[in-house]
Amino acid sequence: MAATASTGMLTRRQVQGKRLRRGARRNLTAYLFLAPALILYLAFVIRPTVELFGLSAFDWNGVNPTREFVGFDNFARLFADPLFWRSLGNNLIFVVLLVAFNVTVGLITASALARAMRGRLIYQLIFFLPVVQASIVTALVWKWIYQPDGLLNNALGAIGLGFLSHGWLGDPNTALPALALAAAWSGFGLSVVIFLAGIQSIDQSLYDSAKMDGANARQMFMNVTVPELRPVITVVFLLEMIGAFQTFDIVWATTRGGPVNSTEVLASFMFKRGFTDAEFGYGASIAVIFMVIVLGAAIISLLLRERNED
Amino acid sequence: MVSPTPAAQRTTPAMSRFWQRRGGKLMLYTYLTVLALFSLAPLALAWSTAFKTRAQVVSNPYGLPFPPAFENLAEAWTSGRFSQYFMSSLIISLLSVVAMVIVAPLAGYGLARMKFWGRRLVVVVLLIGLTIPITAIILPLYTIMRDLHLLNTYWSVVITHVAVGGPFFAFIMRAFFMRMPEALADAARVDGCSELRVFWNIMLPLVRPGVLTVALLEFLWSWNNLILPLVFLTSENVRTLPVGMLLLTGRFSTDYGLLSAAVLILSLPVVVLFVLFQRNFVEGLASGAVKG
Repeated sequence: MAATASTGMLTRRQVQGKRLRRGARRNLTAYLFLAPALILYLAFVIRPTVELFGLSAFDWNGVNPTREFVGFDNFARLFADPLFWRSLGNNLIFVVLLVAFNVTVGLITASALARAMRGRLIYQLIFFLPVVQASIVTALVWKWIYQPDGLLNNALGAIGLGFLSHGWLGDPNTALPALALAAAWSGFGLSVVIFLAGIQSIDQSLYDSAKMDGANARQMFMNVTVPELRPVITVVFLLEMIGAFQTFDIVWATTRGGPVNSTEVLASFMFKRGFTDAEFGYGASIAVIFMVIVLGAAIISLLLRERNED
Repeated sequence: MVSPTPAAQRTTPAMSRFWQRRGGKLMLYTYLTVLALFSLAPLALAWSTAFKTRAQVVSNPYGLPFPPAFENLAEAWTSGRFSQYFMSSLIISLLSVVAMVIVAPLAGYGLARMKFWGRRLVVVVLLIGLTIPITAIILPLYTIMRDLHLLNTYWSVVITHVAVGGPFFAFIMRAFFMRMPEALADAARVDGCSELRVFWNIMLPLVRPGVLTVALLEFLWSWNNLILPLVFLTSENVRTLPVGMLLLTGRFSTDYGLLSAAVLILSLPVVVLFVLFQRNFVEGLASGAVKG
């Protein structure tokens, strides 16, 4: 090494010591750079995560100085609670609806945008505008659209489909899909731009040779775009899934889980038990299940991403 | 240019493809325009209703607000106390941006440019942090903030924003630093610059677009966030816009003029920033999804 050559006068041991000291100093500098982010992260993300698991083993109202250790009782109660299974089921339906919409519409729209020479930027701007809106804005505007005298029913009436109109969020059969559509409105623009970036990185010669073989637009989409984009589709799929699973704001600001629990999701269920009923231990056990599911999906997505990059 | 087409050529494959393409283009733009209406109509409805009087909301629910009325905005701003909520939101968002713009580049530089013991472990732990949902840890976070006597202070929200967003923005900054040439930094190191000076004087100016992206996205997220101020800030003098809006929907659920004014006040700053810095928003949000 260069260091040994330039310090030829030093003994081997001195060189090693110097290298060690330099290594230690380099480590210290690196950790000083990372310290602000790491300390905040350990204190306000990792610590509450660890505490959450502890909390789930206690019966506690969140205020009392004493808490009663109950072991796995909260989980036993949870698995026997029909409302938990209802919330989990609703959550899964919500995820499926939202992911299906965002992946298909995102993919079709991105390939349309890639072919649209004119106005691509303005369309992209418009599709992305809902993405930057606060979730409370999405919730409020769509709640209004879904009112019995709201925009949706008036529009249905105007095109002769008035018989379909009803209070979309007041009906247990339509409330959950209606909320999924509102969430899709606010999210599909992001999947459009991710897919568009993916499409633009596809080798153009694949399209050229497909065109020479006489393929039409639909065939090129199915035989070139979709297979070439498979890694991106996987990533978007998992990200949308993880995001959709965490839905809280839009439910809390519109239906609060109703009518008759038809829109209760895990996050709102946990929020009610934990804060509204002041059952911190029980709420924590819900949050543990919630986190295990999300982290499981996230770890799968990280592994897939690593594999894609190789 | 108009040239007469011989009848024979109309039936050639080339010609039929031409028409197919014409039809395809029409379908393409019809599809995009319908979807654009789907994106735009809800916002346009709220923004235009914000400028309508109560009578106009009833008589002309979907038309343009003409003449524009400002009574809803005035009411939301004053008796609706949205001026105060606006200030709370602004203070929290600006504090979060300032903190993040310091924390994220430092961490990103450390991750991108330094070799240290435990680096792989740090990366993995931060990657996990990208996915820990804030709603899942809100119960213990609440008790932690209470024990630190930070409830009903802006700091409770700011600290959590920076702690939770830190890993994401650190990875964004890492990607920016990794694209920069190392030669410049090496030259400075040979001249005896400390690592902090290399970072501050040489590398940081090079990644200014990255810092801007971090600032914009952090602003967006802290401005729009609902759950943290909902849980941490219960007294009215520190209430933020999203929470104020949530309460407004409960109390005046059918006063659409007032609600629309609230929507406008909340979304206007973000929309203006988005239109000005579209590239930063789009690339920043998409990079989080693709690169991690």
